Amino acid sequence: MSGRRPVVSLRRINAIALNTFTELTRLKVFYFLLLFALLLIGSSALMARITFQQELQVLKDVALGAMSIFASLLAILATARLLPQDVEDRTIYTILAKPVERFEYLAGKLGGVLLLLALSVLLMSVVFFVVLFLRQQTLLAETARQMTGLPSAEAADAQANIRHAGVTTTLVLAIVIIYCKAALLASLTLFISTFATTNIFTIVTTVFVYFIGHLQGTAREYWLQNAGSTVGRRLFLGAIALFFPDLQLFNVVDDVAAGAVVPVTLFAKTAGLGVAYTAIYLLFAWAVFYRKEL
Amino acid sequence: MTDPAVALEKITKTFPVPFQRRVIVALRDVSLRVSTGEIYGLLGPNGSGKSTTLKIILGLVSPTRGQVQIFGHDAASAQSRANVGFLPESPYFPKYLTAAEMLSFYGKLCGMRRRELAKRVDELLELVGLTAARDRRLGTFSKGMLQRIGLAQAVINEPEMVVLDEPTAGVDPAGTRVIRDLILELKRRGVTILLSSHLLGQVQEICDRIGILANGALVRDGRVDELLIAPDQTELVLEHASPQLVDRISKAAAEGGASVIRAAPRHRSLEQVFLEATTEK
Ligand SMILES: Nc1ncnc2c1ncn2[C@@H]1O[C@H](COP(=O)(O)OP(=O)(O)OP(=O)(O)O)[C@@H](O)[C@H]1O
Ligand SMILES: [Mg+2]
Repeated sequence: MSGRRPVVSLRRINAIALNTFTELTRLKVFYFLLLFALLLIGSSALMARITFQQELQVLKDVALGAMSIFASLLAILATARLLPQDVEDRTIYTILAKPVERFEYLAGKLGGVLLLLALSVLLMSVVFFVVLFLRQQTLLAETARQMTGLPSAEAADAQANIRHAGVTTTLVLAIVIIYCKAALLASLTLFISTFATTNIFTIVTTVFVYFIGHLQGTAREYWLQNAGSTVGRRLFLGAIALFFPDLQLFNVVDDVAAGAVVPVTLFAKTAGLGVAYTAIYLLFAWAVFYRKEL
Repeated sequence: MTDPAVALEKITKTFPVPFQRRVIVALRDVSLRVSTGEIYGLLGPNGSGKSTTLKIILGLVSPTRGQVQIFGHDAASAQSRANVGFLPESPYFPKYLTAAEMLSFYGKLCGMRRRELAKRVDELLELVGLTAARDRRLGTFSKGMLQRIGLAQAVINEPEMVVLDEPTAGVDPAGTRVIRDLILELKRRGVTILLSSHLLGQVQEICDRIGILANGALVRDGRVDELLIAPDQTELVLEHASPQLVDRISKAAAEGGASVIRAAPRHRSLEQVFLEATTEK
């Protein structure tokens, strides 16, 4: 019983994360969302066929778009109500009355959402990959049949093109990026919910930050170009960037869907950005929450 | 020298009123000490600051002024709660968990291991009479059942002190007895108990010391037996006394310079009547 206890206990964070995960998976709304996402991804093959061209490209575009939207939506909606619900139900009294640091409580809550997101993204990926693989096999068989009379070099070329558009490492990396973005949004939502008075405020503010994050890169370039770049302006922009991440980097996913070649360093940079902001927002949340009256 | 279980030193707590300059003063200069091993009862009308005092002790609310020490640790540190169990007033627990899951969740928060937990959970469910409801979600529990499972949760890691905010509110008389017996059992094991209640009879029965809050100030604080003594009165309870005998006693009292204030049949408490009627076969 005696002896110094560690400042942060992974075991307690773990317990809270698993409990949060249980809470979220026992909500019916989660299954509706997930089912809807899976249906959409599953039917991406149908949608792609209507276009007659670049079929696999369109399929990937639809599926990755659906995954990105649902992961982000799930991150925001699932996180927004976590803290307010605990405060309203007063379960937070019983949890914090145990030897639990407030940081552990927040980290546990976020951990639970990250777990849920990981599971959802994994499920969506499996469905996506199965659909993509099946379509690819059919296409390969079809082209092989159509090209029986043509020179073998041309046929091989067409086959290679189709193979290249299937499940690749780049595609997996793009899904990791989607997950990182969702994690960032979850952490941001948690931060906002520590001082928000209503869930609607939390959701609206998060969406607002989301759009600023997408626009800020362009705005920054425009401003520095037209008004000149001084130290003061750079500091100001740096401060803004601390709160609003440059979300445009995450558009790398669209490039992947379009079949562009994306360097691995760009993936690493984007994922790093996601992880860093997830941590920063968690610290912000803690700064607001650690002496908050409940 | 051992630290007292709880030491409040001149605690003042004010709550700001939103959009106004006014503040609500919930506690004024409250100093209070709970020694280890005793049962301390906090009494007071609604809104007098009982719950606020208990929340300050658990570090859930920070005092505006003053010092709080729990077993010698500052109440703001998580360390101070390592040996304390808490049952808040009208407790709510995660609705989506079953009784057994909830107990093991809180056990894990106290740093308990899976194996020792499994045994402890069964033991506690048995103790508070909820073994049959073990795998039911808490969302379906009645108020009294929540109170009982809440008590089990408070003692999951065998703490050295338990803080109970109105532990018997909404519990039926039989359940109240279970909780009372549990509290006395805890005391027998040397656990310090701090509770708040509106049930004066019960507080009188089980508490060693009480404090009375009124309007945020501690207006009484002391041992129950000492506070209750009417210094100039003596009680005499007779069985099978005829009216003539009572008459003679009155006369004798008058000769001795005393007077009989009341001589009437003795009443049983409603609790006794209720329990007799509801446990009859
Ligand atoms: N979070 C808060 N914000 C504002 N005022 C508060 C807050 N918590 C308590 N108060 C006020 O502090 C005072 C004391 O409240 P407290 O809950 O401690 O009373 P209590 O003695 O437990 O009452 P009861 O017997 O009804 O449970 C009340 O006037 C209450 O309105
Ligand atoms: Mg109260």
